[in-house]
Amino acid sequence: MLLWERRRNALVLAGLIAFHVLLISIQIPQGSRKSYFERGVFFVYAPVQRLAAATVRGLGSLWSGYFDLRGVRRENQKLKRENFFLNQDIRFLQDRLGLAGTEAELRANLAAYEKTLVAARVIGVDSVNPHQSIIIDKGRLDGLDKDMAVCDRSGALVGRTIAPVGFKEAMVQLVTDKDSSVSVRSASGPLTGSVMGLAARLCELRYVLASAGEGKPGDELLTTGFDKIYPAGIRVGTIQKVERDEASPIFLKIVVKPYFDFGTLDVVAVLTKGPGDRP
Amino acid sequence: MRETVATDVLRAFLGTMAAVFIYSIAGAGAPALMVVFNAFSIVVLYFAVRRGEMFGALLGTMCGLAQDAFSLGVFGVGGLTKTLLGFWAGYVSRRIDVVPFSRNALFVLVMSVLEVVLWVLLTALVRLRAVNLEGGLLFVQPVVTAVLASSLFALERWIARRSSRGA
Repeated sequence: MLLWERRRNALVLAGLIAFHVLLISIQIPQGSRKSYFERGVFFVYAPVQRLAAATVRGLGSLWSGYFDLRGVRRENQKLKRENFFLNQDIRFLQDRLGLAGTEAELRANLAAYEKTLVAARVIGVDSVNPHQSIIIDKGRLDGLDKDMAVCDRSGALVGRTIAPVGFKEAMVQLVTDKDSSVSVRSASGPLTGSVMGLAARLCELRYVLASAGEGKPGDELLTTGFDKIYPAGIRVGTIQKVERDEASPIFLKIVVKPYFDFGTLDVVAVLTKGPGDRP
Repeated sequence: MRETVATDVLRAFLGTMAAVFIYSIAGAGAPALMVVFNAFSIVVLYFAVRRGEMFGALLGTMCGLAQDAFSLGVFGVGGLTKTLLGFWAGYVSRRIDVVPFSRNALFVLVMSVLEVVLWVLLTALVRLRAVNLEGGLLFVQPVVTAVLASSLFALERWIARRSSRGA
């Protein structure tokens, strides 16, 4: 008791440090899997983030909506929303057409994608590195779950939903995150590999053998669907640079520029049906 | 005693809410800002200087865990560094005078640098790989955080002076 009174501050600090060391020790073996405690913290504070995003949006639209042509702006927003879904539909229809062999297959493929898009607004970015993750304003109540593909306005791949998925908020791991991996193929050739993030604007295409001599700057990369997370045919990015990997000479070092633009990422589409759900 | 602890926990919770709110507004305005300034650190520094090391450590824990929950990093690393930041800031500010602007700015800068260095070391140790320094932009973070935090203290003093003059 005497020790507590004399050394209260030091004891409390030691207790807090021990608590954090315990949290870190629990987290490391779990890898990217989130603990229940972390999910709990996310659920508690995510609504505050939603409120802040709504405040910024509200103030912004109050300014532009009131002082700029009010009616025109409203109409423009409606058209933008429609355009967003039309773009997504066109993209998917094109991809399905490319993959389907017969009319029956085509019809089956298209039926699988009916009502699968959920539009969501970006309400937050990763608190440490913005190229790792974003937070969107849709969650379990909107039909979202983890491992769902997320695309931008033009249908280009942004990433996938990961835990924690809240009732009205969800975290999205971007393709630019270091732990992200997307199975891709070239739109114009036999090249296949995995696009992995660099926690920066660019990504890297890995596991392409140098002896294969495939891939050139400008080649478009599409998802293969082999990873069972991203449906096949979604545009990922283009090859920016191809060179020999000094660290591992049997592979090529291929730098990929993702299509999605982080600076303009405000609305995204979540594909609520993955490759595994197809008939 | 119990009432003080409960009140402090509640205040720390509200302080964390404020930090999340500031971080979210900054993120909504310009995502790139997330690298060059840390809203959670500003809130921890401000309240640690105002209310002492114990409150600073408690708020640091809450803010750090909130920051970790909104990131894909290892959960607990941000919490540990912010706890130490809050404790150090509260402890040192009780022993030296950090009211004058230049001294206050230097004090906040040193604290922010210590926090970033500790975070980089811990992250590298825990993840066993190089930390992404965002092309060196991460090292700008303590400077911007220090400028914003010391401006907050200066603004508070200015408001206090004006209100005392009015009274």
